[in-house]
Amino acid sequence: MVLYDSATLGGSCSGSSSSSSSSKPPPLQQRQQTQQDIDGLLAGAGYRVRSSELRKVAQRLERLETAMVNSPADLSQLASDTIHYNPSDLASWVDSLLSEFTQPPTCPSEFIMDPETNQTVVSDAWTTAEPHMPQVHQNISYEQQSLNNQLTVVTAMEEDSGIRLVHMLMTCAECVQRGDFSLATSCLEDMQGLLTRVNTVCGIGKVAGHFIDALSRRIFQGIGGGTINGGSAYENEILYHHFYEACPYLKFAHFTANQAILEAFDGHDCVHVVDFNLMHGLQWPALIQALALRPGGPPLLRLTGIGPPSPDGRDSLREIGLRLAELARSVNVRFAFRGVAASRLEDVKPWMLQVNPKESVAVNSIMQLHRLLGSDLNRNSPIETVLSWIRSLNPKIMTVVEQEANHNQPGFLDRFTEALHYYSTMFDSLEACTVQPHKALAEIYIQREIANVVSCEGSARVERHEPLSKWRTRLSGAGFRPLHLGSNAYKQASMLLTLFSAEGYSVEENDGCLTLGWHSRPLIAASAWQAVSDGTADFPA
Amino acid sequence: MARSNEVNLNECKMVVPLNTWVLISNFKLAYNLLRRPDGTFNRHLAEFLDRKVPANANLVDGVFSFDVLIDRGTSLLSRIYRPATAEEPQPNIAELEKPVTAEVVPVIIFFHGGSFAHSSANSAIYDTLCRRLVSLCKAVVVSVNYRRAPENRYPCAYDDGWTALKWVNSRPWLQSQKDSKVHIYLAGDSSGGNIAHHVALRAIESGIDVLGSILLNPMFGGQERTESEKRLDGKYFVTLRDRDWYWRAYLPEGEDRDHPACNPFGPNGRSLEGIKFPKSLVVVAGLDLIQDWQLAYVEGLKKAGQEVKLLYMEQATIGFYLLPNNHHFHTVMDEISKFVSSDC
Repeated sequence: MVLYDSATLGGSCSGSSSSSSSSKPPPLQQRQQTQQDIDGLLAGAGYRVRSSELRKVAQRLERLETAMVNSPADLSQLASDTIHYNPSDLASWVDSLLSEFTQPPTCPSEFIMDPETNQTVVSDAWTTAEPHMPQVHQNISYEQQSLNNQLTVVTAMEEDSGIRLVHMLMTCAECVQRGDFSLATSCLEDMQGLLTRVNTVCGIGKVAGHFIDALSRRIFQGIGGGTINGGSAYENEILYHHFYEACPYLKFAHFTANQAILEAFDGHDCVHVVDFNLMHGLQWPALIQALALRPGGPPLLRLTGIGPPSPDGRDSLREIGLRLAELARSVNVRFAFRGVAASRLEDVKPWMLQVNPKESVAVNSIMQLHRLLGSDLNRNSPIETVLSWIRSLNPKIMTVVEQEANHNQPGFLDRFTEALHYYSTMFDSLEACTVQPHKALAEIYIQREIANVVSCEGSARVERHEPLSKWRTRLSGAGFRPLHLGSNAYKQASMLLTLFSAEGYSVEENDGCLTLGWHSRPLIAASAWQAVSDGTADFPA
Repeated sequence: MARSNEVNLNECKMVVPLNTWVLISNFKLAYNLLRRPDGTFNRHLAEFLDRKVPANANLVDGVFSFDVLIDRGTSLLSRIYRPATAEEPQPNIAELEKPVTAEVVPVIIFFHGGSFAHSSANSAIYDTLCRRLVSLCKAVVVSVNYRRAPENRYPCAYDDGWTALKWVNSRPWLQSQKDSKVHIYLAGDSSGGNIAHHVALRAIESGIDVLGSILLNPMFGGQERTESEKRLDGKYFVTLRDRDWYWRAYLPEGEDRDHPACNPFGPNGRSLEGIKFPKSLVVVAGLDLIQDWQLAYVEGLKKAGQEVKLLYMEQATIGFYLLPNNHHFHTVMDEISKFVSSDC
């Protein structure tokens, strides 16, 4: 969780904003400056409060308590209907609750009679810290932890052979990083032997085979060589569909984004959704139906779907558009579809989207932005270019879902380690799915991601996942401000998980964003953004 | 006379630092929104509001952590915290479960508080507290993410604690070099303290050695209304009404607060005389309304001939151990450190 607030940019935390160069946190002094005014102890408890505002927050809390006591009817409404946002920002959370009360409460204890003057004065009854308090070493807050390399491991494995396998994987990866390919090759052989004796049902054993394959590919193709897995767009779509069915990550992405888009479009009659990766259009039937049921009637909905060109002359984008149009017609939603064929997102130009200045635009990116993070020294980095034209469309909302992982670190070993734990957690979660062929094909889908992270480099390496903290810095630097996802979205996501997925998945709120993870490890993060309205990026490009 | 309907905010303001007041008041108000009068709990909102942190296998201030699923059937997770050692300043990712190297390494099984209904092992406040315990005691801390009420009533929390104890006791990598045994302590605050007591009881019955129990403001109660409950009701963040709500949520339906889970030395309790119960360190906050029950617990242990040390912190409120900004905190941490190291 990056410590910034929307008014001041984390300028000093931006060491890694546009290029993927630095994985090291900014120097200690810079972090401390940014956080100078934040109460360090409350930060360790997960709350961001400026020391200078503590007193004010305390007074508001008092007022809130009085209000809650004095009107229990409002209290129960507050408990059930009110949508809560971003609880870490304690000041604004308390203020938002206060604003729900019908009457601004008076708070007798705030005011006392000064016995000498008989004037009412604001009571300032809080004790100050005891003067002889030993200097407390404030441990690094967990927010600073996330600026460091955060490495979350769930379920370390215990069988000896499993441990040895991980050791060898790490050794092999380290050899690769050092360029010692002969040693790496002999590691590979040892591992392949060990694999036959390891429990491959769950945890590290399950994914080890895929990582061994990926390492092998890297070693024998040479660094930078190798195509992107060689899968055709058609194959990718099929695998994607099975991944969609086998586990809840994509469903979570879709319905969280849809909920945010629905809210953003409230009151607008001409709306235009730009989908950065249409696939089979799986996300859109639900939005179309929700818009159909909107009080006051549905808007005119335009959908522009971006996707790779079809090799065989079919216009697969158009086919999907036609199916969606049929659905829209059946629920009386005026609908228009346009397909934009592009092999890479950075080849799309804004004029291709034909955005009408009168319509409200939603830009929807499900696991696409990270593909733009490969830097090309000859021109502007693709991510900056794309974010810049998105901003020029002045979208009402941009929904972003990304893998919550640090797979874009420059050091190979770091990347490898992170990926090992991320994908073993994801595979573990897949165990809960018993339906074939969804599960088997979903595994292949994930395996391709692993292969890309581990064995590709340069422009071929497109799976450049970065965690929420980095996206926050990057997006605010590009002139976007967060739109917080609230407790209603959280509740929906949780309930849907309970209904449709195995136990073990968990949704968490993270500074206005929602993450879905397996047990305590977030794996997918969903966030929503809006262009800052002053027309210029706050952070110089 | 109970004054639970009056808001008397001035008194608690005088005894805690401002940031502590903000933290605990925030919890109090949020929790008011979560408890429904019909006994149900707004779990979604609770999880939304709870501030959580992920585990981190990279060292932060000399401590690293990772999560382990110790029982797949109940999805029972525990977060393991380990100190970096002189031999291994930066842990290798493949060696999170590398055997502990010191002659004696205390392993503290920690049960977080939350009155059986709130918080998790990955709640920020408890992650911070467990990290402190590691540094303080040079211990491994195992924080148990037990099932909570009202969805999971008695005895689920105790069952989960027991599962964790068995798991810890059977980890070869947690055995101290000196005697190839795991040196286990149980610890917990609020409901966690209650759980620690009951897990200690089960341990005796099964022969697992627990070296000591640390109970921080442990949650006990009873049918009777004690003097401290009447005197302090509503004064320092806590009301009798909310205490009653949590017991109704945890205890089996229809049971009253003299159930032995709530009142271990009450009319339905059992005597611990002649039983080899682990030594206990019990911390009681002088401004906690349930202190009479906590003091009765200490008396009950003493009467049964058990070793117990009481730390009565006169001006302390609930939650004083969450932030290191008061002298009670430092006093208690010192005592805990001595308690855990006295077996070396």
